[in-house]
Amino acid sequence: MTTTFSLEAEVARLIVEALHLETAPEEIDPEAPLFGEGLGLDSIDALEIALAVSKRYGFQLRSDDERNHRIFASLRALAAHIEKNRTG
Amino acid sequence: MRTDATFPLTARAPGEVIFRRGAMPVTAARFLAEVAALAARLPADGPVLNFCADRYLALVAFAAALSRGHATLLSADRSPQRLADIARLHGARYALADTDVALPLPVLRPEAAPSEAAPNPVIRADRVAAIAFTSGSTGEPRPHAKPWGALVAGARAAAARFAVTPCTGIVGTVPAQHMYGFETTLMLPLQGGGAGHAGPVFYPSDMAEALAAMPAPRLLVTTPLQMRALLGSGVALPPLRAVISATAPLAAGLAAEAEAAWGAPVLEIYGATEAGSVASRRTLEGDAWLPYDGTAFTITEDGASVTVPGLPAPVPLADTLEALEAGRFRLGGRRADMVKLAGKRASLSGLTSILTGIEGVADGVFLAPPDLDRNPRARLAALVVAPGLTPQAVVAALRGRVEPAFLPRPVVMLRSLPRDPVGKLRQGDLAALAWPRH
Repeated sequence: MTTTFSLEAEVARLIVEALHLETAPEEIDPEAPLFGEGLGLDSIDALEIALAVSKRYGFQLRSDDERNHRIFASLRALAAHIEKNRTG
Repeated sequence: MRTDATFPLTARAPGEVIFRRGAMPVTAARFLAEVAALAARLPADGPVLNFCADRYLALVAFAAALSRGHATLLSADRSPQRLADIARLHGARYALADTDVALPLPVLRPEAAPSEAAPNPVIRADRVAAIAFTSGSTGEPRPHAKPWGALVAGARAAAARFAVTPCTGIVGTVPAQHMYGFETTLMLPLQGGGAGHAGPVFYPSDMAEALAAMPAPRLLVTTPLQMRALLGSGVALPPLRAVISATAPLAAGLAAEAEAAWGAPVLEIYGATEAGSVASRRTLEGDAWLPYDGTAFTITEDGASVTVPGLPAPVPLADTLEALEAGRFRLGGRRADMVKLAGKRASLSGLTSILTGIEGVADGVFLAPPDLDRNPRARLAALVVAPGLTPQAVVAALRGRVEPAFLPRPVVMLRSLPRDPVGKLRQGDLAALAWPRH
């Protein structure tokens, strides 16, 4: 669990840096939606996050299935997806 | 175009492939049979709200509705609130969708079920086939009716302009319900040429996989933002015939990088939801746009308009145009108040009035960064005077009233705005407050 929590913090920093958000990384609620309500990101941000994730963690995000909604459902879900797929 | 003119639902020969669903090619004959099967299941009256994500299902749904005389409401925004707004304001009687969204009207799932051979319906050119929407400053969606003849003429002009052969594979990354995506990924295969890719394509790896799944020649229809992401990802692509970009100006540097990486010409479409696609250029050949065949531009000091085959009246354009030789034109700066982000337009003064209408906001202003037209990632900023409100609270109040693309980033809280003695704001002062690092 410790790994997940520290990865969550790392991904929060990655999002804030990649998107130049006003929010501090530790202020992102790990359970809140990243898009729409919650952090309020949009499709431009989704591409930026995908690019940052591919550079940092060495794998590509895809939109081939229902999972995409789940992956971006929250910071926690995104971090878990990265944990499972990372190569770097 | 004569008012009693007609066009068949598809201009493609029965055996030609007009779509590919994964590995499965769909011929025009099969498409017509599936359209007829769906048309028979539809309610008696339209209009219909079509927000299918699968491009092939979106096309079958559009065609089935059209063959029944129902106009299709096109919303690229699939948020339930926006869909419900459009349905209510424009009298949608039912929806066709391939995802589960709770709406206060019947939602049917189109199925592409094989059935008996069906005829190619003939449709009057002046029938309103689709209604596209622009967001408008108030957030209220504004409708733009698309007669069938205008859609057909646009698709045929695009096929001629981009030399789209019957076997060209078309991979699009723009929603089928956005006017640009609708024209290039649904109408083009239906009336011009080529075979569309049905699946969802958004991220760089999606684009590479979708292109690899299509036989050559391949055409990628995308946006500057996605081109930038694709180049940044380093994902390799199969050989391309051409790349088409629209929704925002494409920087020459990005076009050059793309042409070098993919070995194909990068072409841009100029258009607007109100008029559809009306001109194109190869970005690296210069800034002159070549109008589509059949269009006529009127350029005066007061503004520009374009006459489009099949549309009843000339369409005013939001950009300033400068006439060049041989019918070509150059795009001048945008009108200072109008901004375009993620393919959507808004006026800064309209956004500002929404901002200052928020409870607790004493004063405020929206502004656009100086690199808005060059940087696909650019965002608007807001300077806000609101004692007692946090930036997050301001953004939360704006959400739901403005498109997500226009939400300000950064939001700078101030004690007062730097107004001059007559109360005017100077752009330079504002920009320095919003982007102090520049």
